[in-house]
Amino acid sequence: MAISLSAQNIVKRYGAVVALADGNLDIHSGEVVALIGANGSGKSTLSKGINGVVVLDGGQLLLDGKPVQFSSPHAARDMGISTVFQELSLIPQMSVEDNIWLGREPLRSGGLVNKKAVREKTEELVALFEKAFKTKIRPEMPVGWLSPDEKQIIEILKAVSADPRILILDEATASLDSRQVQRLFGLVQKWKEEGKAIVFVSHRMEEIFQIGDRYTVLRNGRTVGAGMMKDLNEGELISMMIDKASVLKYSRKTKIEEVKVASQEVYVKVNNMHNDVLQGVSFEVYRGELLGLGGLHGQGQRELLHALFGDIPFQGSVSIEGKPVHFRHPKDAIKHKIALVPGDRSKEGLLIIRSILENLLLPSWKEYRFPLRMKKAFQDGGKIGKSLNLVMAGLDEPVSSLSGGNAQKVVVGKWLNRQPQLLLMDDPTKGVDVGTKTDFYILLSKLCDEGKTIILYSSDDEELLGLCDRVLVMHDGMIRTELSGKSLNKHQLLTASLGASNESVG
Amino acid sequence: MRRFSISPPVAALFLAIVLFLLSGLLPQGFGNNPSVALAQATNILRLAVFVGVIAAGQTLVIISGREGIDLSAGSVVTLTAILTYVIVKGENHMVLIALVVALAAGAVVGFLNGAGITFLKVSPFVMTLGMAGVITGLIIIINHGNVSGKIAPIMTYIIARPLIGNIPGAIIIWILFGSLMWLLQERTSYGKKLFAIGVNRITARLSGVNVIGTNLLTYTLAGALAGFGGFLVVGNTGVVFIALGQPFLFPSIAAVAVGGTLLSGGKGSYWGTMAGAVVLTLITSLLTTMQMGEPVRRMVLGGTLLLLISIYGRQKGFRQ
Amino acid sequence: MRRSLWEILNLRYPFILALILLILAIIINLSLQPNLLQREILNSNMRVFLPMILLAVGQSIVLLGGGIDISVGGIVSIVNAILATQVGLNGSPELMWKFVAVSLLVGIIAGVINGFFIAILRLQPIITTYATSFLYGGFALFILPQPGGGIPMDIANLYRNTMPFNLPLAFFILPLVLLAWWFITASRFGRYLFAVGGKPEAAYETAVPVTSVIFSTYVISGFMAALSGIAITMLTGSGNAEIGGLMTLTSITAAVVGGTAMSGGVGGVAGPMLGAITLGLLQNIISFSNINTWWQTFVNASIIVAALAAPGVIDLIGRRRS
Repeated sequence: MAISLSAQNIVKRYGAVVALADGNLDIHSGEVVALIGANGSGKSTLSKGINGVVVLDGGQLLLDGKPVQFSSPHAARDMGISTVFQELSLIPQMSVEDNIWLGREPLRSGGLVNKKAVREKTEELVALFEKAFKTKIRPEMPVGWLSPDEKQIIEILKAVSADPRILILDEATASLDSRQVQRLFGLVQKWKEEGKAIVFVSHRMEEIFQIGDRYTVLRNGRTVGAGMMKDLNEGELISMMIDKASVLKYSRKTKIEEVKVASQEVYVKVNNMHNDVLQGVSFEVYRGELLGLGGLHGQGQRELLHALFGDIPFQGSVSIEGKPVHFRHPKDAIKHKIALVPGDRSKEGLLIIRSILENLLLPSWKEYRFPLRMKKAFQDGGKIGKSLNLVMAGLDEPVSSLSGGNAQKVVVGKWLNRQPQLLLMDDPTKGVDVGTKTDFYILLSKLCDEGKTIILYSSDDEELLGLCDRVLVMHDGMIRTELSGKSLNKHQLLTASLGASNESVG
Repeated sequence: MRRFSISPPVAALFLAIVLFLLSGLLPQGFGNNPSVALAQATNILRLAVFVGVIAAGQTLVIISGREGIDLSAGSVVTLTAILTYVIVKGENHMVLIALVVALAAGAVVGFLNGAGITFLKVSPFVMTLGMAGVITGLIIIINHGNVSGKIAPIMTYIIARPLIGNIPGAIIIWILFGSLMWLLQERTSYGKKLFAIGVNRITARLSGVNVIGTNLLTYTLAGALAGFGGFLVVGNTGVVFIALGQPFLFPSIAAVAVGGTLLSGGKGSYWGTMAGAVVLTLITSLLTTMQMGEPVRRMVLGGTLLLLISIYGRQKGFRQ
Repeated sequence: MRRSLWEILNLRYPFILALILLILAIIINLSLQPNLLQREILNSNMRVFLPMILLAVGQSIVLLGGGIDISVGGIVSIVNAILATQVGLNGSPELMWKFVAVSLLVGIIAGVINGFFIAILRLQPIITTYATSFLYGGFALFILPQPGGGIPMDIANLYRNTMPFNLPLAFFILPLVLLAWWFITASRFGRYLFAVGGKPEAAYETAVPVTSVIFSTYVISGFMAALSGIAITMLTGSGNAEIGGLMTLTSITAAVVGGTAMSGGVGGVAGPMLGAITLGLLQNIISFSNINTWWQTFVNASIIVAALAAPGVIDLIGRRRS
């Protein structure tokens, strides 16, 4: 039953971006190997490379010493490698038991599903987490009725039901509470004893140190360290994750050193903002400030920005320049001179098949009167394009003809026409090449110098450090730490994001 | 996705010309005779006007995306034709009032469609199909006493007869109408919003577009435009009956597809639809000339639409 | 999370709303027509409802898979036209059964055509089946341009008057359909069906053969439409190529009333059956009531729109509350 999987020198590119330059990972039965790395280190790519989700551009995989290639996640599953997804693969309208056994239902003679066996096996599986559920989970309940943590557990059970030899838990504890995590770890222990191999991909330091036997650290797309967990402490681990040499050469020259100066006026004040994701967020933003939101992905940063923009509902209060505001729709926020650059440009920021001009002027057409003054529109479009260094064949070309970086410029550009006073930006330089990133940094600095206020979420720690005056690190829908001045450094930022230590910062 | 080097409306126009020339080769065709050709061309264009106008609303709802379509257009045409017929009663001075009523009635139906689609989340196909039945029921109620009415001479004068030179008024109206539609789509902020919601409703909303309002307005407009179509149709034929509007429905949808408006929304133009309307009228007329009756006509129409969507309408697969 | 009793009931018995509506309809109908449940009247009603029941079942299966089939009315018309012309009023029973087999084959072929364009070429179901509805409708007209023809009287009477154990024929056919459905839900295919309709991407991730599943739903729908066409021909005894015209919308409504969601992944077959009977009874109610004949089409159509809009209204109220 002993199994080993070895990933050697894995390379993976997404277009021009090299996600993995040299990924290495060794997995053995009876062990938990923790796969660790900061945002953008390549660790998710590596974990997707070993279970057949992505096609590798280089390197090789050895299963039990023999080279192997996975054409799909199913192929990997058939060879005994199961992955716990982030609830992607559950069908809300179907029951827990139907979801777990979909495609692998135990059959009776005659090809009919053995419903009794399905029920019994599901009950056994669910019983593994018995006391860790808040409410009793019945096998016939539709998955759509479950809460996110319960759904995550069903995902785990689904992967486990295939009796895999290697189980990959990719950020599987993200939605679980501590009791559920402990139960999971108890099961992991049992599985180790049965000879299974577990890959634990996570950011959570306490969990890594509790459950991990060995570790592999990725940084900048390369494996930079591997060994036994017991030979390492937290500080050493974090040091391995950080790239000491700063890649970001850019740093805002006119950063505001002392933020809380009496003459600084509060531009936006948020009090106890909460909804299903945000758990009571309160903070202030000063005029002309570039405020960063940090922390791991999915901790509520996106929801905060969208709530401020009037896109999602929330309880709590927001005031701008002292006056309370309540936006029910983005157009209310736009009227108040607020702009949002969303995180997913093809889904939220662009009209892909329409022209560049139409994208740039989408919020602004009303100003061109009736019939639309197209000549002025083209002029204005051209002005915006120039100010952004937009590389395009022409304003009439569809936005799909632009490169990623230029397309992202259009997403930002659509607001420049309107002179917004507050810009909300959700990871604006994600998937953008270095040259364009620099253009953006220059633009953002310029806007702040002009007195505009920016709230920026970035998954790139370098960016936060180089651009922001202050950074609010978020975790689980709340602001956990505020970093500024001396405390705004790489180590503190990463530590705060990981929730690693209880050191006070600031 | 392949980029066509010729834009679809131009391709449709090209197709129309080819079909027309082919029709000339038939026994009853114009052969070598230019004046007969001109007369036949004029006739085709005149016939195409009605499908074309009715297809205008269809163009708008299809552009608006989310499988937008208006299957109530046929019944709205009949309804407004009857209303016009009954209100005018042969009096010239009632014509304007009848027109307003026709537009309003169409708009009300369109608004109900839009409300069901937007607020009750009923799919456009099912909603408008259901409304079509309701309107037909309404027509039966109005019609059972065998409506008496008459169109006004001025209507025949403007619509059916030649107005400028030898060009029938209907064609001139259509050209004016087409220009207005172009203006609406390309030179109003409504038009820009329409395309935006057709492409990506999330982006539209996050850019400040009132998606719900734009959607409602689109269906309301579509109803009003179908109402205008009914007004024109009765002005041309002078008679009303229950199935008056029905033959225009399918061609109106096919015309939009031929004209290159994406059935998935977000892209298209009324010029294309106009070319499509001509193509469809040509096909129908060719079939009639070849003595192919209604059955073949329906099969050919169905097959044509099927062919079109096979070319223009394939969706993404699951493998990314 | 606490779930209301209604939600739980609906989960176990998706047809429950249809059942309640049916009981209501029976009660109202009884009050207007006291002999409703008498042997002869019951049979007379059930044989009229059977074609629609069969059509609603097929439609429901397509809807479950996340699609829709607008061409079912056209297939019914083709089958009617074939039987009316090929068998004729004086045809022999052998001829009849031969063309019954042909009709079933025709239904399957029509379903294969739909399935090809939708599952394999990935075209949108609505516009595709709208196009094929014209194709099939036109073909039906081609076979039978004017109403006429028919099937032998005694065969029609066989359908109309057969009452095993003094119960309507339909009461024996429907359990067969339910049995077939039970088989489907008891097999992997049934689970695949719900998965594909519920969340196609997730189904794909889990190695469900999405294309084959969608393809099969259209073939099943075509087959059911053919059965429906045979039933309606046996009912009327004559041919009319436009007969399927209004049936399509009603089949969708019956499925929706029966608890099948238009978005897919939710529903069954028992519900649409009850829904079809309910809609049939509603027709009766309208006829027997004091509603002016001229108003009947309007009322009927309005009820259909109301039935189709109902899930949306319920959702809206639910959202307002939370």
